[in-house]
Amino acid sequence: MLAKIQSYALNGLDGYGVAVEVDIHPGLPGFDVVGLPDTAIKESRERVRSAVKNSGYDFTARKITVNLAPANTKKEGPVFDLAIALGVLVSTEQAGVDGGRKPLAALNEYVFLGELSLSGAVTRINGVMPMLIAAREKGVKKMVIPRANANEARYIRGIDVYPVSTLREAVGLINGEVAEVLEHSDVVLGQTTRASENLKFVKGQYAAKRALEIAAAGGHNILMIGSPGGGKTMLAKCLPGILPDMTEEEALETTKIHSVAAILDAERGIVTTRPFRSPHHTTSKIALTGGGPAAKPGEISYAHNGVLFLDEMPEYPRASLEILRQPLEDGVVTVSRAARTVEYPANFMLVASMNPCPCGYYGSATHTCTCSPSQIQKYLSRISGPLLDRIDLHIEVDEVNYDDLTKETDTESSECVRERVNMARGIQTARYVGSDVHCNAQMTSEMIKKYCALDEKGEKILQNAFDKLGMSARAYTRILKVARTIADLEGSDNIHAKHIAEAVMYRSLDKAVK
Amino acid sequence: MILSDIYLWLSYSHVPTSKINKILEHISPTELWNSFDDESRYRSDDKTINALKRTRNLEYIERAKLYLETNNIKYVTRADPIYPVSLAQRETDPPPVLYYKGDIRNLSAPSIAVVGTRRASQYGRYVSQKIVDGLAGAFTIVSGMAAGIDGYAHAAALSAGGKTAAVLGSGLFNPSPISNIKLFDEICEKGVVLSEYTPDTHASVYTFPQRNRIISGLCKGTLVVEAAERSGALITADCALEQGRDVFAVPGDIDKPRSVGTNKLIKSGGIAVTCAEDILEYYSVSTPPKAEQKTLALDFAEQQVLDILSEGEKSFDALVMTCGMTVPELNTALSSLMIYGLIHQKAKNLYCVSK
Repeated sequence: MLAKIQSYALNGLDGYGVAVEVDIHPGLPGFDVVGLPDTAIKESRERVRSAVKNSGYDFTARKITVNLAPANTKKEGPVFDLAIALGVLVSTEQAGVDGGRKPLAALNEYVFLGELSLSGAVTRINGVMPMLIAAREKGVKKMVIPRANANEARYIRGIDVYPVSTLREAVGLINGEVAEVLEHSDVVLGQTTRASENLKFVKGQYAAKRALEIAAAGGHNILMIGSPGGGKTMLAKCLPGILPDMTEEEALETTKIHSVAAILDAERGIVTTRPFRSPHHTTSKIALTGGGPAAKPGEISYAHNGVLFLDEMPEYPRASLEILRQPLEDGVVTVSRAARTVEYPANFMLVASMNPCPCGYYGSATHTCTCSPSQIQKYLSRISGPLLDRIDLHIEVDEVNYDDLTKETDTESSECVRERVNMARGIQTARYVGSDVHCNAQMTSEMIKKYCALDEKGEKILQNAFDKLGMSARAYTRILKVARTIADLEGSDNIHAKHIAEAVMYRSLDKAVK
Repeated sequence: MILSDIYLWLSYSHVPTSKINKILEHISPTELWNSFDDESRYRSDDKTINALKRTRNLEYIERAKLYLETNNIKYVTRADPIYPVSLAQRETDPPPVLYYKGDIRNLSAPSIAVVGTRRASQYGRYVSQKIVDGLAGAFTIVSGMAAGIDGYAHAAALSAGGKTAAVLGSGLFNPSPISNIKLFDEICEKGVVLSEYTPDTHASVYTFPQRNRIISGLCKGTLVVEAAERSGALITADCALEQGRDVFAVPGDIDKPRSVGTNKLIKSGGIAVTCAEDILEYYSVSTPPKAEQKTLALDFAEQQVLDILSEGEKSFDALVMTCGMTVPELNTALSSLMIYGLIHQKAKNLYCVSK
């Protein structure tokens, strides 16, 4: 008898229905899977055989053919295990058939997802959230998923989700036993973030801390330049603690990617804190942007709506850095492979740190730099102009002297700063409502013109800054955007001269390059 | 055969200047040309004689002149009255021809050489700019257009609207370092760039030390801003002493490698200089007073920061501690003061008053 079970597969973050057809016919005992399966699916024959047997059913000694339709797209991963096992059971009439030995109508209402263990338990799979969302858009009403994935599924409304933990449970479900629907829950936002460092433990570095606050508030990319031991990495580690709360939309977007990439916390099931990714500089280009035969997302997509931290930026291969340019501009990365083209969102805030020269002490007040001008030039030129162009804030971080290090002073904690950042981000969200832009850093030229109008005094101070400090033209819009964020932090509607003056302070590289 | 063409022949023979000058001690250029075959009248080695013989050719010299003209390179020979007087003495080993771009009259004003390390610190950069700014009204600033102090000195002279002259260690077609090419163009336009080498000559390890004697020779005095123990700037200072010129040096921290050279110069009799006035007074020169800057209306915070900084340089963190302002307020005040030019950043996050 032929049995047909519905399942689902992913292409990037988009899903499509897969019909699992199982036919049993006379012949030499055998078990074949067709429809462009990968190795994991071919191996599912063995898992299905054991799971069926160990769940107390008979595994027929006849010829079994499984087809995964549409047959022309390549399918990956063990998500079809459950559907195949159920197909075998239905076609051998051990489950899901009525008195007349016809498959039950209920069978077609469900979509089954799940990997099987040899014992018959249904185990966790990746990408449940994007599959649920895609299935919902396509009009699917009921979905059966592994219980281990229930935590991420509960946030998706408009579709009935049935978590199962064993093959037997799934069989009960299609036999029409009363099934328990997963209860939905609301996304709880604004939970405390897991930052490994707190600003209140950072001694001194007031200028850098202020710059981080501005960067967090406006989503600006930031570059920290400083000697070794200056505390650049520590400052960056404080950043997750002061990032603004995610909106529900942002949380779901990020969770989708983390779900596909198998980096989602199974307990929490949703990402409510902005991701902070710090790939090592040996990370390959593909790992950074995404790709590979399966066109998986990369680090920059993991950092979607969060922070991508590149420590010691000039150490990264130039090619790896250059590929960041397009995602930094567009907020998405397009991964094209011979077989498919996939788009992943990659709207991240770039935080980078670097030394000012190979020895690290150029411009230091306490150490002497031993590098030649050409060495410094060569070192700085590892970061290309176009990439630098996309970084709004440059700050210099120098060592803190011993006295400051041991002095007990009251410094603001990350929590205080976060309150201000949240306030400023709230203003921005209200301002850009109805557009694709979430924060000041993403403003289009038209918006800059509209929201960054300067008064006469501000205009004059900017003009003076360009003349006296030798700013480059590329700094112009950057300064306006940063000034907008500074004004937002203060709750000011207009950009005043003082906001411009402060914004000018964060262009140290422009001044140095002159 | 006119005299200037004979000097051009000597230059285009590519014989080192010192050897040419040795020959010319015994025989005048015209006699050398006319009775070249009579080897008893002068003395030199075979290599030199061969080189001179090979190029002793009227057609060759005419071609060289045409080449210079078509490529817009001007030249001045020792026969010309505009050949810098200060250079035309035995100690400076004067080259037969100076090739130049720009206006040679820049060299008729009294000149000061400002030289220093290529690996300049931010402090060295600031000091050279500051002093050159003060000198530019009274002196032509001469330097070597190298990276570091040399380049800063030229740039500061240009931005102060003063005269400047760059002496290259290579031909005019191959200015080095390439990173200063923009500066080269600017000096060609507003000052003068000169070289004793024929335009196609490439720089080598010998040419740079050789041209240093011209830098010092053109000037009344040589100011060394920053120099390590072994620095090309010290060669210039040595040349200046041999030529009987004055040597000035900017003192520096005794523990900084970049100040070892300058401090040594001071110890051995160099004149310590901390501001442009020191040099101006030494030569009893007065500069036309600069237009009085109109007093800026500083706001309270700016005035307060300025007052604190007048007592001594301070880091950003120290300022936050002492001035009792919030970080944004302090940032704004510092930024405004820097834009007004009242303070500057001495090193990373270290601010001090610009005097």
